[in-house]
Amino acid sequence: MLPLMQLEIEAYMKRNPAQLNVTGGGSGVGITSLLEGTVDIAMSSRELKMAEKLKFEEKGKKLIVMAVANDALSVILNPQNPIKQLTREQLEDLFTGKITNWKEVGGDDLRVVVYTRESSSGTYEFMKDHVMNKKEFTKTAISSSATAAIVYATSQTKGAIGYVGIAYVEPIVKAISVSYDGGQKYIAPTFNNAFNKTYPITRPLFILYPLEKEKLVKPFIDFLFTVYGQKLVTHKGYIPLK
Amino acid sequence: MTIKKIKEKFVESIIYSCGTFTTLAVLFIIVFLFKEGSGIFQKTALEEGYSLAVNRYNPVSKLSPEQIKSIIEGDIHNWHQLGGNYDSVYIFTLSDIESKFTQEELGAEFEHLKEKITAYVESNTGVLAFFPSKYVDASLAKIDVDKITLASILKGKDWYPTANPAPQLGALPIVLGSIMVSLGAIIIALPLGVIVAIFLAEIAGETLKNVIKTVIELLAGIPSVVYGFFGLVVLVPFVQQLFDIPVGETALSGSILLALISLPTIISLSEDAISATPQELKNASLALGANRLQTIFGVTIPFASSGIISASILGIGRAFGETMAVLMVTGNAAIMPKSLLEPVRTITATIAAELGEAPTGGIHYEALFILGTFLFVFTFAVNLIAEFFAQKR
Amino acid sequence: MHKNIVEKIVFQFFGIVTWFVVAVVALILGYIIYRGVGIISWNFISQPPINGMMEGGILPAILGTLALILGSCLLAFPIGILSGVYMNEYAPKNIFKKFIGMMTNNLAGIPSIVFGLFGLAMFVNFFQFGVSILSGCLTLAILIVPVIIRTTEESLKLVEDTYRLSSYALGASKFETVFRVVLPMAFPNIITGLILSIGRVAGETAPIIFTAAAYYLPQLVLSLGSPVMALPYHLYVMATSGIDLDKSRELAFGTALVLMAIVLLLNFAAGGMKLYFKQNRS
Repeated sequence: MLPLMQLEIEAYMKRNPAQLNVTGGGSGVGITSLLEGTVDIAMSSRELKMAEKLKFEEKGKKLIVMAVANDALSVILNPQNPIKQLTREQLEDLFTGKITNWKEVGGDDLRVVVYTRESSSGTYEFMKDHVMNKKEFTKTAISSSATAAIVYATSQTKGAIGYVGIAYVEPIVKAISVSYDGGQKYIAPTFNNAFNKTYPITRPLFILYPLEKEKLVKPFIDFLFTVYGQKLVTHKGYIPLK
Repeated sequence: MTIKKIKEKFVESIIYSCGTFTTLAVLFIIVFLFKEGSGIFQKTALEEGYSLAVNRYNPVSKLSPEQIKSIIEGDIHNWHQLGGNYDSVYIFTLSDIESKFTQEELGAEFEHLKEKITAYVESNTGVLAFFPSKYVDASLAKIDVDKITLASILKGKDWYPTANPAPQLGALPIVLGSIMVSLGAIIIALPLGVIVAIFLAEIAGETLKNVIKTVIELLAGIPSVVYGFFGLVVLVPFVQQLFDIPVGETALSGSILLALISLPTIISLSEDAISATPQELKNASLALGANRLQTIFGVTIPFASSGIISASILGIGRAFGETMAVLMVTGNAAIMPKSLLEPVRTITATIAAELGEAPTGGIHYEALFILGTFLFVFTFAVNLIAEFFAQKR
Repeated sequence: MHKNIVEKIVFQFFGIVTWFVVAVVALILGYIIYRGVGIISWNFISQPPINGMMEGGILPAILGTLALILGSCLLAFPIGILSGVYMNEYAPKNIFKKFIGMMTNNLAGIPSIVFGLFGLAMFVNFFQFGVSILSGCLTLAILIVPVIIRTTEESLKLVEDTYRLSSYALGASKFETVFRVVLPMAFPNIITGLILSIGRVAGETAPIIFTAAAYYLPQLVLSLGSPVMALPYHLYVMATSGIDLDKSRELAFGTALVLMAIVLLLNFAAGGMKLYFKQNRS
C-alpha cells in the first residue's frame, strides 16, 4: 500500500497546505506504531488481529477502520515455468514446503523456491490465513522486506513462486489463475475479476486511525474517497471501491 | 584566585564531568540493553496475557511450544499423541469466535465472551482454547507452558516469532547463519589480506605502497548499504549463474561482501604487525643466507603472527556485526545452514527486519533485544580476544 | 638459484593478488559511477522525489543526512574530545581507568544495529522523543563518541612526554600544558578522526532505521521532533521497494553515487590532512 499512499499524499499536499509523511515496513509496523501513538494513520493490507483489537481497547483507543481500495493477491511464477494455474490446496502445499519440486504439480523437474515477505507484512499474514489455512511458510523461503524485490527475484529464478498485490505484477513475471473449488474453475487475477470479486484472493486495503485524531486526519481521509483519490487507486494498479 | 585560574578550573571540571559521563554512559548502555531483553525470561512461550484452557476431563496439563506448533500445523491432531485421551484436538481461538457467535450474543464490549468460552470448553472434550486470560474463567483447566529460557532460545530451531498462539523463538539457525557468513568471510579475506599486507610491507616500493594503501582505504570508506546494493545488482545474479543454482541469495554472497568489508582492517593491521618486525631479525636471517622469501616466511610472519591473528579476529567481529549488506543479499531464510550456496539468515538482519513490527515490551521485542545483547556480548568478547593477541607482542 | 626462482614466482603471485584486490575496488567504484553518473544532474540534487519516487531527485535525503551529521557531531565532538583528554591526561592511572578504557575501546567495535536497538529503546520509547532527528542524532552521537575518544587518546599518546615535561619545567600549569602544548600538537590527528567519523555517520543505515528515517518526507524545513529522509536509508528503499523496479534502480544508482561521493570525499580530506600535517611537521 505504500506506493499508493505516497501518491495520494503527494496529490493531497499539492492541493492543501498540509504536511504529511509516510513510512513503510509492513502492516504490522503500522499497527504497532498506531498503538504506540507514533503515527496518526496506519495502513493495513489485512484485518486487525483480534489480539490487536484487544490491545487497542486496553489502551482506551477507539479505532476507525475504513477500506480505501481493494487488491487482488496474485501468485506469480517465473515466465519460463509452464504452469498456468493451481488450486488453493496446491498453493498451500507449495508455500508450506510440502511440495518441493515442480514436477509434483505437473511442471518441470525443478526445485521450488518460495519467496515471501517478512512476518511484519499484512500480505504475509493474509496469505497465511486465507490461502495456507493458517500454516507457516516453509523455513527455506527467502524473505524480503519489500514487494518489488519479490517480483524481481521471481523473474530471475526459474523455480520461483511468490505472491504480490496486483499492482506490483509486471510483465517480467507470470501471474497464474487460481481455483478455490478443487480445480473446477480457475480464475485469473485481472482487474475485472477482482472488481466483481470473482477472483478468490481479493482483499480490502485499510486505513486506520484513532477516533481522537479524527479532526486532524479527516480532510485527508475524505480526499482518499473522492473521485480523484479513487482515480489514483486505479492509476497505481489497485482496485477502486466502486 | 585569578580569573585565569577560575577559568582553568572551570574547563577542567567540564573535562572531569565528560570523562565521568562517558564512563557512566558506557556502563549504562550495557545495563540498559540487558534490561530491555531480560523481561523475556519471566514469560512463557505463550503469547502474553493469554491462557490455554482445556476440558476438565483432559489429563494433559503441559505443552511445549514445539508441540503447540505441531498442533497448529496439523501434525498432532489427537490428544492421544500427547499422552491424553483418544480425542481429536480441536483448536478454538479468537478468530473462531467471530464465526460462531454474533456480536449480540457476545455483547457490544464482549461482556458475554467469557461465559461463551467457558460453556464451549465445558461441552467439548477435545477442545484446546486459546484466549486472553481475562476471558478465561478461573475454573477451567489450564495448560502450562514452559518459561522461556536462554537455552531454549539458543537451542530452538524454529524462528516464527509472530506465530499464533505460541511464538516460536528458536534462534539457533540465525546464530549459525551469522557464524557461517562470518567464517566464510574470514576464509576469503584472511589469505588475501595477509598476502596484500606482505606485498605492501616487504615487496612494494614506497610510492606504489602509498598508492595501493589509498585504494584500500577507499574500500574501507564505502558504506555497508552501498555494498549491499552492489551485491544485490551484481553479485547475486553472478553467483546464481556461476554455480548454476536456483537462487543467488546465498551465504556465499554474504561472505564475499563481508570479506570485502573486513579486508581493509585485516590488511592495515597485518601490515602494521609485519612492518614492526625488527630489522635486526630480518638482517640476521639474510646474513645466514636466506633470501627475502625465506626471511618473510621464516622470521617476519612468525614474529607478526599475533598481530595477524588479532587482525583476523577483529575482522571476524566486524563481519559478524554487519547488517545492511547481509540483509540485502543472503535471502533471510531461517534454516539451519548446510552449505554456502543456500540462503541464510543472520542475527543482524533479523533484528533489522523485524524490530519495526514488534510492539514495545512484547515477547517478540524482548527476543530481539536478547539477540542484540548476544550480539553485543559476542563482539565484545571477540574484541577482547583480539586485543589480547595484539598485546602479546 | 632455485630458491631465488621460487622467490621471484611467489613475489609475482603476491603482486597479482594485490592487483586483483585493487581491481575489485575499481570494479565496485567504477560500476556505481558508470550506472549512476547518468542520473546525476542539478535536478537530481536539488529536487525532491516525485511521482511516487519514480522520478525527481533526492534533495530531502541529502538535507536529512546533513542534519543528522550536524546534530550528531555537535554532540559527539566536544564530549568525545574532552573525554579523550580526560582519559589520557587527567585520569588517575588505576585499574578503574584501565577498565573504562577497555570498555570504551570495545564499544567502538560494537555493531551499529546494537546502537540502533539502544536508540530505539532509550530515545524513541523511554524518553518519548519518537522517530525524529533528535533520536537519530543522539543515537549516531553515541555511535561515534567511542571512536572519537579512542582517536583523541591515540593522538595525545603520540605527543611525546618531553613536550609535557618541558612545559611544566617552564612553570606552566597542567591546564596550560594540555591546552596550549599537547592538544595543538595532537590536533591534526584528532581532526582526521573527526572527519572519518563524519563519513561514518553519513553512511550508516542501521542506527537510523528505527530512530529517525522516513520513507517519504519531501518537506525541507523540519523540526527536531520530526523524522527525516536520509541518503543511506533512501538507497536501501530505492533498491528494494517501489513498483517499477527499472526506474527505481536508476535512481538507486544515483543515490549510491551521491552517498559514496560524499563519504569518499570526506575520507580523502582526512587522508590529505594527515599528509599535509606530516609534511609540515618535518
